[in-house]
Amino acid sequence: MNSGVIDLSAWQLGLALLLVAAVVLVSLRQALGLERDLALGALRTVAQLYGVGLILAAVFAAARWYWVVLILIVMTGVATHAAVSRLTRPLPRGYSIAAAALTVSTAATLAYVIFVVVQVRPWYAPQYVIPIAGMILGNSMTSAALAGERLQGELSARAAEVETRLVLGFSGREAVQPLVRSALRAAMIPTVNGMMTVGLVQLPGMMTGQILAGSSPLVAIRYQIVVMFMLAAATALGALIFVRLAVGRYLTPAHQLRRYLL
Amino acid sequence: MTEPVFAVEHLSLAYPARRGQAAASILNDVSFSVERGQALTLVGPSGSGKSSLLRCLNRLEEPSAGTVRFAGRDVRSLDPRRLRRDAALVMQSPVLFEGTVRDNLLLRPAGIGGDFSEARLARTLVEVGLEERTLERDATTLSGGEKQRVTIARALLGDPRALLLDEPTSALDPPNAALVVEAVSRLRETRGLTIVASTHQPELVRRLGGELIFLVRGEVRTDRRLDAFLAGECAAQGPAT
Repeated sequence: MNSGVIDLSAWQLGLALLLVAAVVLVSLRQALGLERDLALGALRTVAQLYGVGLILAAVFAAARWYWVVLILIVMTGVATHAAVSRLTRPLPRGYSIAAAALTVSTAATLAYVIFVVVQVRPWYAPQYVIPIAGMILGNSMTSAALAGERLQGELSARAAEVETRLVLGFSGREAVQPLVRSALRAAMIPTVNGMMTVGLVQLPGMMTGQILAGSSPLVAIRYQIVVMFMLAAATALGALIFVRLAVGRYLTPAHQLRRYLL
Repeated sequence: MTEPVFAVEHLSLAYPARRGQAAASILNDVSFSVERGQALTLVGPSGSGKSSLLRCLNRLEEPSAGTVRFAGRDVRSLDPRRLRRDAALVMQSPVLFEGTVRDNLLLRPAGIGGDFSEARLARTLVEVGLEERTLERDATTLSGGEKQRVTIARALLGDPRALLLDEPTSALDPPNAALVVEAVSRLRETRGLTIVASTHQPELVRRLGGELIFLVRGEVRTDRRLDAFLAGECAAQGPAT
Protein backbone atom coordinates (compact mmCIF):
# COMPACT_ATOMS: atom_id res chain seq x y z
CA MET A 1 0.00 0.00 0.00
CA ASN A 2 2.89 2.34 0.80
CA SER A 3 4.72 1.50 -2.41
CA GLY A 4 4.31 4.97 -3.87
CA VAL A 5 5.13 7.02 -0.78
CA ILE A 6 8.45 8.78 -0.32
CA ASP A 7 9.14 8.83 3.41
CA LEU A 8 10.27 12.25 4.58
CA SER A 9 13.37 12.54 6.72
CA ALA A 10 14.05 15.16 9.37
CA TRP A 11 16.30 17.20 7.07
CA GLN A 12 13.58 17.26 4.43
CA LEU A 13 11.20 18.71 7.03
CA GLY A 14 13.93 21.21 7.83
CA LEU A 15 13.99 22.24 4.15
CA ALA A 16 10.22 22.76 4.27
CA LEU A 17 10.73 24.98 7.32
CA LEU A 18 12.74 27.33 5.06
CA LEU A 19 9.41 28.28 3.47
CA VAL A 20 8.23 29.64 6.82
CA ALA A 21 11.61 31.31 7.30
CA ALA A 22 11.02 33.13 4.00
CA VAL A 23 7.67 34.36 5.27
CA VAL A 24 9.35 35.57 8.49
CA LEU A 25 11.75 37.59 6.33
CA VAL A 26 8.85 39.12 4.44
CA SER A 27 7.17 39.94 7.76
CA LEU A 28 10.35 41.66 9.00
CA ARG A 29 10.89 43.61 5.77
CA GLN A 30 7.28 44.76 5.60
CA ALA A 31 7.00 45.36 9.37
CA LEU A 32 3.98 43.06 9.59
CA GLY A 33 4.80 42.11 13.17
CA LEU A 34 3.91 38.48 12.51
CA GLU A 35 7.34 36.91 13.23
CA ARG A 36 6.51 35.74 16.73
CA ASP A 37 3.17 34.23 15.65
CA LEU A 38 4.79 32.57 12.64
CA ALA A 39 7.47 31.02 14.82
CA LEU A 40 4.95 29.90 17.39
CA GLY A 41 2.64 28.60 14.65
CA ALA A 42 5.43 26.60 13.04
CA LEU A 43 6.41 25.17 16.42
CA ARG A 44 2.82 24.25 17.26
CA THR A 45 2.30 22.67 13.84
CA VAL A 46 5.27 20.38 14.43
CA ALA A 47 4.44 19.60 18.07
CA GLN A 48 0.69 19.05 17.59
CA LEU A 49 1.04 16.91 14.50
CA TYR A 50 3.84 14.81 16.07
CA GLY A 51 1.68 14.39 19.18
CA VAL A 52 -1.32 13.30 17.12
CA GLY A 53 0.87 11.07 14.95
CA LEU A 54 2.28 9.26 17.97
CA ILE A 55 -1.17 8.76 19.48
CA LEU A 56 -2.63 7.55 16.18
CA ALA A 57 0.29 5.19 15.63
CA ALA A 58 -0.32 3.69 19.07
CA VAL A 59 -4.08 3.40 18.48
CA PHE A 60 -3.57 1.88 15.03
CA ALA A 61 -1.14 -0.64 16.49
CA ALA A 62 -3.47 -1.54 19.36
CA ALA A 63 -6.58 -1.66 17.12
CA ARG A 64 -8.99 -1.83 20.07
CA TRP A 65 -12.50 -0.40 19.74
CA TYR A 66 -12.37 1.38 23.10
CA TRP A 67 -9.27 3.36 22.11
CA VAL A 68 -11.00 4.45 18.92
CA VAL A 69 -14.12 5.49 20.83
CA LEU A 70 -12.00 7.37 23.38
CA ILE A 71 -10.28 9.28 20.57
CA LEU A 72 -13.67 10.12 19.06
CA ILE A 73 -14.89 11.44 22.42
CA VAL A 74 -11.81 13.63 22.83
CA MET A 75 -12.18 14.93 19.25
CA THR A 76 -15.84 15.76 19.90
CA GLY A 77 -14.87 17.58 23.11
CA VAL A 78 -12.30 19.71 21.31
CA ALA A 79 -14.72 20.45 18.45
CA THR A 80 -17.42 21.45 20.96
CA HIS A 81 -15.09 23.87 22.66
CA ALA A 82 -14.00 25.32 19.31
CA ALA A 83 -17.60 25.74 18.11
CA VAL A 84 -18.68 27.53 21.30
CA SER A 85 -15.65 29.80 21.41
CA ARG A 86 -16.33 30.97 17.85
CA LEU A 87 -19.63 32.53 18.99
CA THR A 88 -19.07 36.22 19.65
CA ARG A 89 -21.96 36.44 22.14
CA PRO A 90 -22.38 34.09 25.08
CA LEU A 91 -25.02 31.41 24.55
CA PRO A 92 -26.62 30.04 27.72
CA ARG A 93 -25.81 26.31 28.00
CA GLY A 94 -23.83 26.67 24.79
CA TYR A 95 -21.56 23.75 25.65
CA SER A 96 -24.31 21.19 26.11
CA ILE A 97 -26.07 22.43 22.96
CA ALA A 98 -22.91 22.22 20.85
CA ALA A 99 -21.98 18.84 22.35
CA ALA A 100 -25.41 17.43 21.55
CA ALA A 101 -25.39 18.79 17.98
CA LEU A 102 -21.87 17.54 17.21
CA THR A 103 -22.31 14.15 18.89
CA VAL A 104 -25.60 13.34 17.18
CA SER A 105 -24.62 14.63 13.73
CA THR A 106 -21.24 12.90 13.82
CA ALA A 107 -22.51 9.62 15.26
CA ALA A 108 -25.37 9.36 12.77
CA THR A 109 -23.32 10.26 9.69
CA LEU A 110 -20.31 8.21 10.75
CA ALA A 111 -22.44 5.14 11.49
CA TYR A 112 -24.10 5.35 8.09
CA VAL A 113 -20.80 5.73 6.23
CA ILE A 114 -18.95 3.05 8.23
CA PHE A 115 -21.66 0.41 8.44
CA VAL A 116 -23.74 0.98 5.33
CA VAL A 117 -21.68 2.75 2.66
CA VAL A 118 -18.04 1.69 3.09
CA GLN A 119 -18.80 -1.42 5.20
CA VAL A 120 -15.59 -1.29 7.18
CA ARG A 121 -14.54 -4.55 8.87
CA PRO A 122 -14.07 -4.44 11.81
CA TRP A 123 -16.21 -1.35 12.27
CA TYR A 124 -13.65 0.35 14.50
CA ALA A 125 -10.77 0.02 11.98
CA PRO A 126 -8.93 3.19 13.06
CA GLN A 127 -7.47 4.10 9.65
CA TYR A 128 -11.05 4.55 8.39
CA VAL A 129 -12.98 5.69 11.44
CA ILE A 130 -10.65 8.36 12.77
CA PRO A 131 -10.00 10.37 9.58
CA ILE A 132 -13.64 10.12 8.48
CA ALA A 133 -14.86 11.19 11.93
CA GLY A 134 -12.34 14.04 11.84
CA MET A 135 -13.71 15.37 8.56
CA ILE A 136 -17.29 15.07 9.75
CA LEU A 137 -16.57 16.78 13.08
CA GLY A 138 -14.57 19.59 11.53
CA ASN A 139 -17.30 20.45 9.07
CA SER A 140 -20.13 19.95 11.54
CA MET A 141 -18.33 22.21 13.99
CA THR A 142 -17.90 24.97 11.42
CA SER A 143 -21.51 24.80 10.32
CA ALA A 144 -22.88 24.72 13.88
CA ALA A 145 -20.77 27.76 14.76
CA LEU A 146 -21.85 29.58 11.58
CA ALA A 147 -25.49 28.79 12.25
CA GLY A 148 -25.24 29.86 15.88
CA GLU A 149 -23.47 33.08 15.02
CA ARG A 150 -26.04 33.92 12.37
CA LEU A 151 -28.95 33.02 14.65
CA GLN A 152 -27.68 35.32 17.39
CA GLY A 153 -27.14 38.13 14.89
CA GLU A 154 -30.59 37.71 13.41
CA LEU A 155 -32.24 37.56 16.85
CA SER A 156 -30.74 40.83 17.98
CA ALA A 157 -31.31 42.57 14.64
CA ARG A 158 -34.86 41.28 14.17
CA ALA A 159 -36.17 41.11 17.76
CA ALA A 160 -38.94 43.61 16.96
CA GLU A 161 -40.03 41.48 14.02
CA VAL A 162 -40.16 38.37 16.22
CA GLU A 163 -42.16 40.19 18.87
CA THR A 164 -44.53 41.56 16.24
CA ARG A 165 -45.38 37.97 15.32
CA LEU A 166 -45.76 37.05 18.99
CA VAL A 167 -48.09 39.99 19.48
CA LEU A 168 -50.20 38.75 16.57
CA GLY A 169 -50.67 35.42 18.35
CA PHE A 170 -47.96 33.31 16.72
CA SER A 171 -46.17 30.74 18.85
CA GLY A 172 -42.54 31.31 19.79
CA ARG A 173 -41.40 28.67 17.29
CA GLU A 174 -43.45 30.22 14.49
CA ALA A 175 -42.20 33.70 15.36
CA VAL A 176 -38.52 32.74 15.00
CA GLN A 177 -38.93 30.40 12.01
CA PRO A 178 -37.74 32.90 9.34
CA LEU A 179 -34.62 33.59 11.44
CA VAL A 180 -33.97 29.87 11.91
CA ARG A 181 -34.26 29.40 8.16
CA SER A 182 -31.77 32.16 7.49
CA ALA A 183 -29.30 30.70 10.02
CA LEU A 184 -29.57 27.23 8.47
CA ARG A 185 -29.06 28.59 4.98
CA ALA A 186 -25.98 30.51 6.10
CA ALA A 187 -24.56 27.34 7.63
CA MET A 188 -25.23 25.16 4.60
CA ILE A 189 -24.18 27.46 1.78
CA PRO A 190 -20.42 26.73 2.11
CA THR A 191 -21.11 22.98 1.78
CA VAL A 192 -23.39 23.45 -1.20
CA ASN A 193 -20.84 25.75 -2.87
CA GLY A 194 -18.15 23.19 -2.12
CA MET A 195 -20.15 20.55 -3.99
CA MET A 196 -20.44 22.90 -6.97
CA THR A 197 -16.71 23.52 -7.37
CA VAL A 198 -15.06 20.40 -5.97
CA GLY A 199 -12.22 19.18 -8.16
CA LEU A 200 -12.35 22.23 -10.43
CA VAL A 201 -10.19 24.60 -8.42
CA GLN A 202 -8.23 22.38 -6.08
CA LEU A 203 -8.22 18.73 -5.19
CA PRO A 204 -9.74 18.03 -1.79
CA GLY A 205 -7.25 17.14 0.95
CA MET A 206 -8.34 13.58 1.41
CA MET A 207 -8.21 12.84 -2.29
CA THR A 208 -4.78 14.46 -2.55
CA GLY A 209 -3.62 12.31 0.35
CA GLN A 210 -4.89 9.12 -1.19
CA ILE A 211 -3.29 9.89 -4.54
CA LEU A 212 0.01 10.75 -2.84
CA ALA A 213 -0.24 7.46 -0.95
CA GLY A 214 -0.43 5.60 -4.25
CA SER A 215 -4.16 5.05 -4.73
CA SER A 216 -5.55 5.22 -8.21
CA PRO A 217 -7.28 8.56 -8.83
CA LEU A 218 -10.41 6.59 -9.71
CA VAL A 219 -10.48 5.00 -6.26
CA ALA A 220 -9.68 8.35 -4.66
CA ILE A 221 -12.54 10.17 -6.36
CA ARG A 222 -15.03 7.53 -5.24
CA TYR A 223 -14.01 8.11 -1.64
CA GLN A 224 -14.17 11.83 -2.23
CA ILE A 225 -17.71 11.55 -3.59
CA VAL A 226 -18.74 9.67 -0.44
CA VAL A 227 -17.00 12.34 1.64
CA MET A 228 -18.82 15.21 -0.09
CA PHE A 229 -22.22 13.62 0.44
CA MET A 230 -21.39 12.69 3.99
CA LEU A 231 -20.31 16.26 4.75
CA ALA A 232 -23.52 17.62 3.26
CA ALA A 233 -25.51 15.44 5.66
CA ALA A 234 -23.29 16.14 8.66
CA THR A 235 -23.27 19.93 8.25
CA ALA A 236 -27.04 20.06 7.74
CA LEU A 237 -27.71 17.84 10.74
CA GLY A 238 -25.20 19.63 12.98
CA ALA A 239 -26.57 23.07 12.12
CA LEU A 240 -30.18 21.93 12.42
CA ILE A 241 -29.77 20.42 15.88
CA PHE A 242 -27.66 23.33 17.08
CA VAL A 243 -30.09 26.00 15.88
CA ARG A 244 -33.16 24.14 17.16
CA LEU A 245 -31.68 23.76 20.62
CA ALA A 246 -30.11 27.24 20.69
CA VAL A 247 -33.26 29.07 19.64
CA GLY A 248 -35.06 27.33 22.49
CA ARG A 249 -32.77 29.16 24.91
CA TYR A 250 -34.15 32.48 23.67
CA LEU A 251 -37.81 31.51 24.00
CA THR A 252 -39.91 30.69 27.04
CA PRO A 253 -42.78 28.17 27.25
CA ALA A 254 -45.11 31.19 27.42
CA HIS A 255 -44.01 32.25 23.90
CA GLN A 256 -41.86 35.12 25.12
CA LEU A 257 -38.53 36.28 23.68
CA ARG A 258 -35.83 36.50 26.35
CA ARG A 259 -34.68 39.95 25.27
CA TYR A 260 -32.18 40.34 28.08
CA LEU A 261 -30.12 37.52 26.52
CA LEU A 262 -29.74 39.34 23.20
CA MET B 1 -70.73 43.97 38.53
CA THR B 2 -68.30 43.14 35.73
CA GLU B 3 -64.64 42.43 36.23
CA PRO B 4 -62.16 45.12 35.19
CA VAL B 5 -60.48 44.33 31.86
CA PHE B 6 -57.08 44.70 33.50
CA ALA B 7 -56.41 44.38 37.21
CA VAL B 8 -52.74 44.75 38.09
CA GLU B 9 -51.67 44.04 41.66
CA HIS B 10 -48.25 44.69 43.17
CA LEU B 11 -46.54 44.10 39.86
CA SER B 12 -42.75 44.09 39.83
CA LEU B 13 -40.42 43.30 36.96
CA ALA B 14 -36.69 42.73 37.23
CA TYR B 15 -34.12 41.26 34.90
CA PRO B 16 -31.75 38.71 36.42
CA ALA B 17 -28.08 39.54 36.88
CA ARG B 18 -25.84 38.28 34.12
CA ARG B 19 -22.11 38.27 33.69
CA GLY B 20 -20.97 41.85 33.61
CA GLN B 21 -24.44 43.23 34.34
CA ALA B 22 -26.15 43.75 37.67
CA ALA B 23 -29.79 42.76 38.12
CA ALA B 24 -32.04 45.54 36.87
CA SER B 25 -35.32 46.54 38.50
CA ILE B 26 -37.74 47.79 35.84
CA LEU B 27 -41.09 48.01 37.64
CA ASN B 28 -41.72 48.11 41.34
CA ASP B 29 -45.02 47.35 43.10
CA VAL B 30 -47.37 48.78 40.47
CA SER B 31 -51.13 48.41 41.03
CA PHE B 32 -54.07 49.72 38.99
CA SER B 33 -57.16 48.56 37.18
CA VAL B 34 -58.97 49.54 33.96
CA GLU B 35 -62.69 49.04 33.43
CA ARG B 36 -64.21 47.93 30.16
CA GLY B 37 -64.35 50.70 27.57
CA GLN B 38 -62.14 52.96 29.67
CA ALA B 39 -58.82 54.51 28.78
CA LEU B 40 -55.68 54.59 30.85
CA THR B 41 -52.67 56.65 29.87
CA LEU B 42 -49.20 55.97 31.19
CA VAL B 43 -46.96 59.00 31.29
CA GLY B 44 -43.41 59.27 32.49
CA PRO B 45 -39.89 59.97 31.33
CA SER B 46 -38.04 57.63 28.99
CA GLY B 47 -36.89 54.51 30.80
CA SER B 48 -39.58 54.82 33.47
CA GLY B 49 -41.02 51.40 32.61
CA LYS B 50 -44.05 52.36 30.48
CA SER B 51 -43.27 49.94 27.66
CA SER B 52 -42.40 47.16 30.07
CA LEU B 53 -45.69 47.65 31.88
CA LEU B 54 -47.62 47.34 28.60
CA ARG B 55 -45.60 44.22 27.76
CA CYS B 56 -46.59 42.68 31.09
CA LEU B 57 -50.27 43.22 30.27
CA ASN B 58 -50.14 40.86 27.27
CA ARG B 59 -47.45 38.70 28.89
CA LEU B 60 -44.68 39.52 26.49
CA GLU B 61 -42.72 39.96 29.73
CA GLU B 62 -42.91 37.72 32.78
CA PRO B 63 -43.36 39.78 35.98
CA SER B 64 -41.04 38.80 38.81
CA ALA B 65 -43.77 39.47 41.40
CA GLY B 66 -47.44 40.40 41.55
CA THR B 67 -50.32 39.48 39.27
CA VAL B 68 -51.95 40.72 36.10
CA ARG B 69 -55.59 39.75 35.60
CA PHE B 70 -57.31 40.03 32.26
CA ALA B 71 -61.12 39.99 32.53
CA GLY B 72 -60.81 38.46 35.99
CA ARG B 73 -58.33 35.72 35.10
CA ASP B 74 -54.66 35.57 35.98
CA VAL B 75 -52.82 35.93 32.66
CA ARG B 76 -50.63 32.97 33.64
CA SER B 77 -53.69 30.74 33.38
CA LEU B 78 -54.43 31.91 29.81
CA ASP B 79 -52.89 30.78 26.53
CA PRO B 80 -50.50 33.68 25.78
CA ARG B 81 -51.32 33.48 22.06
CA ARG B 82 -55.01 33.97 22.76
CA LEU B 83 -54.32 36.68 25.34
CA ARG B 84 -52.22 38.62 22.83
CA ARG B 85 -55.00 38.64 20.27
CA ASP B 86 -57.50 39.77 22.92
CA ALA B 87 -55.18 42.43 24.32
CA ALA B 88 -53.50 43.65 21.15
CA LEU B 89 -50.24 45.53 21.55
CA VAL B 90 -49.18 48.09 18.97
CA MET B 91 -45.48 48.66 19.37
CA GLN B 92 -43.69 51.97 19.27
CA SER B 93 -41.87 51.29 16.02
CA PRO B 94 -44.30 49.74 13.57
CA VAL B 95 -43.02 46.51 11.96
CA LEU B 96 -44.49 45.66 8.58
CA PHE B 97 -43.34 42.67 6.56
CA GLU B 98 -42.48 42.47 2.85
CA GLY B 99 -45.48 42.54 0.59
CA THR B 100 -48.56 44.68 0.25
CA VAL B 101 -50.62 46.21 3.02
CA ARG B 102 -53.14 43.43 2.33
CA ASP B 103 -50.47 40.75 2.96
CA ASN B 104 -49.67 42.44 6.24
CA LEU B 105 -53.29 42.65 7.33
CA LEU B 106 -53.81 38.97 6.53
CA LEU B 107 -50.84 37.92 8.64
CA ARG B 108 -52.13 35.62 11.37
CA PRO B 109 -51.37 32.19 12.82
CA ALA B 110 -52.78 29.22 10.92
CA GLY B 111 -56.19 28.08 12.07
CA ILE B 112 -57.34 31.44 13.39
CA GLY B 113 -60.94 32.14 12.43
CA GLY B 114 -62.59 35.50 12.02
CA ASP B 115 -63.65 37.71 9.18
CA PHE B 116 -60.71 38.50 6.89
CA SER B 117 -62.82 39.31 3.84
CA GLU B 118 -61.80 42.03 1.41
CA ALA B 119 -64.67 44.21 2.60
CA ARG B 120 -63.62 43.87 6.23
CA LEU B 121 -59.99 44.75 5.42
CA ALA B 122 -61.12 47.85 3.54
CA ARG B 123 -63.50 48.86 6.34
CA THR B 124 -60.79 48.47 8.96
CA LEU B 125 -58.41 50.65 6.98
CA VAL B 126 -61.05 53.35 6.78
CA GLU B 127 -61.58 52.98 10.53
CA VAL B 128 -57.97 54.00 11.17
CA GLY B 129 -58.19 56.86 8.68
CA LEU B 130 -56.59 55.23 5.63
CA GLU B 131 -58.09 54.88 2.17
CA GLU B 132 -59.29 51.53 0.84
CA ARG B 133 -56.79 51.55 -2.00
CA THR B 134 -53.95 51.49 0.54
CA LEU B 135 -54.56 47.72 0.51
CA GLU B 136 -52.67 47.40 -2.78
CA ARG B 137 -49.68 49.45 -1.71
CA ASP B 138 -46.25 48.03 -1.00
CA ALA B 139 -45.96 48.16 2.79
CA THR B 140 -42.36 49.37 2.67
CA THR B 141 -43.33 52.56 0.80
CA LEU B 142 -45.74 53.84 3.47
CA SER B 143 -44.96 56.89 5.59
CA GLY B 144 -44.39 56.46 9.32
CA GLY B 145 -47.93 57.57 10.17
CA GLU B 146 -49.44 55.23 7.57
CA LYS B 147 -47.36 52.33 8.87
CA GLN B 148 -48.48 53.02 12.42
CA ARG B 149 -52.13 53.06 11.35
CA VAL B 150 -51.72 49.83 9.35
CA THR B 151 -50.33 48.14 12.48
CA ILE B 152 -53.34 49.42 14.44
CA ALA B 153 -55.65 48.06 11.72
CA ARG B 154 -53.80 44.72 11.84
CA ALA B 155 -54.38 44.58 15.60
CA LEU B 156 -58.08 45.44 15.17
CA LEU B 157 -58.66 42.59 12.72
CA GLY B 158 -58.10 40.10 15.55
CA ASP B 159 -61.18 41.58 17.29
CA PRO B 160 -59.33 42.57 20.46
CA ARG B 161 -61.10 43.59 23.63
CA ALA B 162 -58.25 45.90 24.60
CA LEU B 163 -55.73 47.89 22.63
CA LEU B 164 -52.30 48.50 24.15
CA LEU B 165 -50.52 51.39 22.46
CA ASP B 166 -46.85 51.98 23.15
CA GLU B 167 -46.07 55.61 22.33
CA PRO B 168 -48.18 55.41 19.19
CA THR B 169 -47.27 58.94 18.06
CA SER B 170 -43.73 59.44 19.31
CA ALA B 171 -42.04 58.77 15.97
CA LEU B 172 -44.48 60.86 13.95
CA ASP B 173 -44.54 64.48 12.85
CA PRO B 174 -47.42 66.59 14.22
CA PRO B 175 -49.87 66.15 11.31
CA ASN B 176 -49.37 62.36 11.29
CA ALA B 177 -49.54 62.18 15.07
CA ALA B 178 -52.85 64.05 14.96
CA LEU B 179 -54.24 61.52 12.48
CA VAL B 180 -53.26 58.59 14.70
CA VAL B 181 -54.66 60.28 17.81
CA GLU B 182 -57.85 60.98 15.93
CA ALA B 183 -58.14 57.35 14.79
CA VAL B 184 -57.48 55.94 18.25
CA SER B 185 -59.92 58.15 20.11
CA ARG B 186 -62.61 57.40 17.53
CA LEU B 187 -62.03 53.66 18.02
CA ARG B 188 -62.58 53.94 21.72
CA GLU B 189 -65.93 55.60 21.11
CA THR B 190 -67.15 53.41 18.25
CA ARG B 191 -65.89 50.01 19.38
CA GLY B 192 -66.03 50.45 23.15
CA LEU B 193 -62.41 49.29 23.22
CA THR B 194 -60.44 49.43 26.41
CA ILE B 195 -57.29 51.39 25.70
CA VAL B 196 -54.04 51.51 27.61
CA ALA B 197 -51.53 53.86 26.02
CA SER B 198 -48.16 55.25 26.95
CA THR B 199 -47.33 58.65 25.57
CA HIS B 200 -45.43 61.87 25.73
CA GLN B 201 -48.03 63.77 23.74
CA PRO B 202 -50.44 66.04 25.67
CA GLU B 203 -52.85 65.85 22.73
CA LEU B 204 -53.22 62.07 23.04
CA VAL B 205 -53.72 62.36 26.81
CA ARG B 206 -56.42 64.99 26.29
CA ARG B 207 -58.22 63.19 23.49
CA LEU B 208 -58.24 59.78 25.15
CA GLY B 209 -59.41 61.09 28.50
CA GLY B 210 -59.68 58.48 31.22
CA GLU B 211 -57.22 57.77 33.99
CA LEU B 212 -53.60 58.80 34.14
CA ILE B 213 -50.71 57.02 35.77
CA PHE B 214 -47.36 58.69 36.30
CA LEU B 215 -44.45 56.33 36.25
CA VAL B 216 -41.05 57.40 37.49
CA ARG B 217 -38.24 54.84 37.63
CA GLY B 218 -40.71 51.97 37.61
CA GLU B 219 -42.92 53.30 40.41
CA VAL B 220 -46.35 54.92 40.34
CA ARG B 221 -46.16 58.50 41.57
CA THR B 222 -49.19 60.31 42.87
CA ASP B 223 -47.49 63.61 43.60
CA ARG B 224 -47.45 64.82 39.99
CA ARG B 225 -49.88 67.11 38.27
CA LEU B 226 -50.66 66.57 34.62
CA ASP B 227 -50.15 70.13 33.42
CA ALA B 228 -46.87 70.57 35.23
CA PHE B 229 -45.75 67.14 34.15
CA LEU B 230 -46.63 67.65 30.51
CA ALA B 231 -45.07 71.09 30.52
CA GLY B 232 -41.84 69.51 31.74
CA GLU B 233 -42.14 66.68 29.25
CA CYS B 234 -42.82 69.03 26.38
CA ALA B 235 -39.80 71.11 27.26
CA ALA B 236 -37.74 67.94 27.31
CA GLN B 237 -39.21 66.44 24.17
CA GLY B 238 -39.35 69.54 22.00
CA PRO B 239 -42.50 70.87 20.37
CA ALA B 240 -45.43 68.46 20.29
CA THR B 241 -48.85 68.64 18.64
